[in-house]
Amino acid sequence: MKKGLFSLLTVIISGALLLSACSQQSSTPAAEGNAASTTTTTTDQATTETSSGLTELLKATDISKLPELAQKRTDTVIVGLTDPSGAFTPYFQQSGYDGNVSSLLYSSLVTVDNSGVPIPDLAESFDISDDQLTYTFHLRKDSKFSDGSPLTADDVAFTWTILHDKAYDGGYDLLSAHIKGGEAYKEGKAKTIEGIKVIDPQTISVTLDKVNATALLTLGSEVLSKAYYGKDYKFGQLDYIKNLHATPVGNGPYKLEKFIPGQEVRFVANENYYKGKVKIEHFIYKTTEGDTFQFVETGEQDFGGFQATTDNIDRLKKIGFLNLQPYTASNYGYLQFNMEHETLKDKAVRQALTYGLDRKTIYVDSNQGAAAIANIPTPQSSWSYTEDGINPYNYDPEKAKQLLDEAGWKEGSDGIREKDGKKLKIHFIGSKKKGTDVFIAVAKENYAAIGVQLEAEQFADFNSQIAKFESGDFDLVSFSTPILTDPSDGVISFVNGEVKGYNNPKIKELYDKGLATNDIEARKAVYKELYQVINEDAPYIFTSYGKSVYAYNGRIEGFNLNPFRGLSTSIPEWTLK
Amino acid sequence: MSTYLTKRLIYMVLILIGASMLIFFLYALTPGDFVSGNLKMSAERKAELRDLYGLNKPVFERYLIWMKNALHGDFGYSLAQQKPVLTLFNEYIWNSFLLAIVSTFLTWVIAVVIGVISAYKQYSWFDTIVMIFIFAAMSIPSFFIGLFLIKTLAVDLKWLPPGGMMTTGSNATGWAYVKEVIHHMTLPVVVMTLLGVGSLTRYFRSNMIDVIQQDYIRTARAKGLTERTVLFRHALRNALLPAITLVGFELPGLFGGSIIIEKIFNWPGIGQLYMQSFGSRDYPLLMGFTMFIAVLTVIGTLISDILYHLADPRVKL
Repeated sequence: MKKGLFSLLTVIISGALLLSACSQQSSTPAAEGNAASTTTTTTDQATTETSSGLTELLKATDISKLPELAQKRTDTVIVGLTDPSGAFTPYFQQSGYDGNVSSLLYSSLVTVDNSGVPIPDLAESFDISDDQLTYTFHLRKDSKFSDGSPLTADDVAFTWTILHDKAYDGGYDLLSAHIKGGEAYKEGKAKTIEGIKVIDPQTISVTLDKVNATALLTLGSEVLSKAYYGKDYKFGQLDYIKNLHATPVGNGPYKLEKFIPGQEVRFVANENYYKGKVKIEHFIYKTTEGDTFQFVETGEQDFGGFQATTDNIDRLKKIGFLNLQPYTASNYGYLQFNMEHETLKDKAVRQALTYGLDRKTIYVDSNQGAAAIANIPTPQSSWSYTEDGINPYNYDPEKAKQLLDEAGWKEGSDGIREKDGKKLKIHFIGSKKKGTDVFIAVAKENYAAIGVQLEAEQFADFNSQIAKFESGDFDLVSFSTPILTDPSDGVISFVNGEVKGYNNPKIKELYDKGLATNDIEARKAVYKELYQVINEDAPYIFTSYGKSVYAYNGRIEGFNLNPFRGLSTSIPEWTLK
Repeated sequence: MSTYLTKRLIYMVLILIGASMLIFFLYALTPGDFVSGNLKMSAERKAELRDLYGLNKPVFERYLIWMKNALHGDFGYSLAQQKPVLTLFNEYIWNSFLLAIVSTFLTWVIAVVIGVISAYKQYSWFDTIVMIFIFAAMSIPSFFIGLFLIKTLAVDLKWLPPGGMMTTGSNATGWAYVKEVIHHMTLPVVVMTLLGVGSLTRYFRSNMIDVIQQDYIRTARAKGLTERTVLFRHALRNALLPAITLVGFELPGLFGGSIIIEKIFNWPGIGQLYMQSFGSRDYPLLMGFTMFIAVLTVIGTLISDILYHLADPRVKL
């Protein structure tokens, strides 16, 4: 029994070690790759160094340095991707990396241009009725799936229908579009969805219960073949789709050639692609974790994404055969206040804490310029981005002190402000990573200078941080959003109750107004006002937009990056010199 | 022997049941679950998904369901990878096993040879140099050696590939494929061997030193046997005996994968998969893998005991 006990202990101990060795879950979008770690520099050094940062495409200086390995590949391009798992059916995949794969295998009805405005893709055109409730999609006459079968309105109707199935357990929320009769179908009260109408094989219309500006993109995504994915479909029964994950039938620029778990996803050009066969016959997503520098440098990979630090840019420039494209992420980082705590209910305190934080040092300088300061909840690339009437909250400790004084927080004997016998302490939670370390070090000093004490707690594991966040035991928490396509994505947390304790009826009103029309100019005006209100209210301290640099072989031409769709819309346009 | 085995097997079953409960509850108690990490999802949808995945049931009921399915050979679907857990094991474990078996073999061979020689020539210059080298190799972190070798041998000298298991896009089959894999596994195997060889060498060296001082070695020499026979037949065999217990303990390590090495060398092994599934709280995969290691550990100890008995009949079971 002694041996037995010992083996049990071994299991427990090794389990515990594994737990403690766990690193944080990466939330960076897939195609960006894992940015290299950064080194902290002092403010002075960084300001002189940022002048060498990139602002536009830098062409390769010496293409002759291209390694033999890459030169030998004449009809193949290799790009790194963190971890595709093999579930290549859109809507039914859990990992964003599988999404990167399926976005080459499947086209969407509608896509967005470089500023986030919807444009037709697989659909030839779409119209929206005057009451903005009915959307009609006109499909191309000769559209085909990769197996050669025709793509018709029935396939679109089928796709929309199964996403309403009660057994659907994926992450896509088509119900948010509120198709007429959608709820009834989900509850099993109706055999079909009332709002979906197949008019002819090339035309399909859909009627919504209420006007929603995001519906066009939500509806206009990938189309699944009914003949392939629907032949075994019965209401409430979707498990069979799991067996089809590995053998996708799509309609995108590429077809799946071979998936080697943990190593590669190989693609071959789809001869049935509606825009015609793409120029580069073979494409490979190579599974690479962590720093991909060595693969880009040795020519094993044609593309890599890196954090745009001065060090990284200098290293990449030296390689010579790489084109460098700077890129600002379409998401934003933020520090959220817990406004259920009495102290932080006061807008003046929140503003003071924003003024009192030297965001430039924390996010821009310590990252060697690989970030830009954010002040509103939308990416710079979005059509809704504005700086008009937005307070930049430049670092101003004097202003912060004044605001706190006015709010009744007076400095106590130990230098920490107090009000009604309560000390002004901020309990911060964040992930365990280099950027958070920098934040804590600088913010502690910044806040001490204005009489606020910061207590920090870090989590190596993302789920643990979420659990702490949900328990409400914090004052300030650090997060970043996923990629934001529609401006409403960036503000929804202020109206759906996610930002607890924050309740401004004006926000709700403007949010609804922003979705109640498809006219972009009208929406721009609404979001501008909305951003001004949020900027004034300061429920978040907006922190930064991450900057990356994309490095790719100088022999690749036609590289045009869509900030909302990542690489997938650009890859089909590439050619090899 | 057979009564011993029956007793051991009953113990093993009890241990595994205890271990499975402990592991299941530990995972269930770690904060967050499979859906909680998704910031984009609404609270209602999260509740719906918890219902679909059965995550809202009481922990004990979830355990019983898992146990029942596991006893029927069904370890469930990985939530994140959307594949049966056993299929995933089959896809990744053999890659880890390949690295582990080769490096373990090399580690043992090198450790025995160096251990014997340095024990025999204790305090000689060879012994000193080897010991310094071994301590150095043991104390340098694996990621450092790994990255250093990638930088020098792969990036600068271009002798070996910087990572992966085969050249990307390669269609090599048969012998060409084997050669490609050997080419790619050289660096990780070297690093794993360097890290493992230290402690094992010290172990053999000290065992050997103990044995050499025994009376029967003096007797053997006195009988006029050649030094070679004394060393390898009389001394080494006895020195290896305690090492047999270690063989069993290597078993889980052979299949468990190495998180750090696999990450550095971009090796498609199970260690990386396990790490990701922990981050996303992919319970079926976590449970399946940890239990698999638990089973191997228990079997490993049993094998050790039996081997020890076979090698040394004085040991009674």
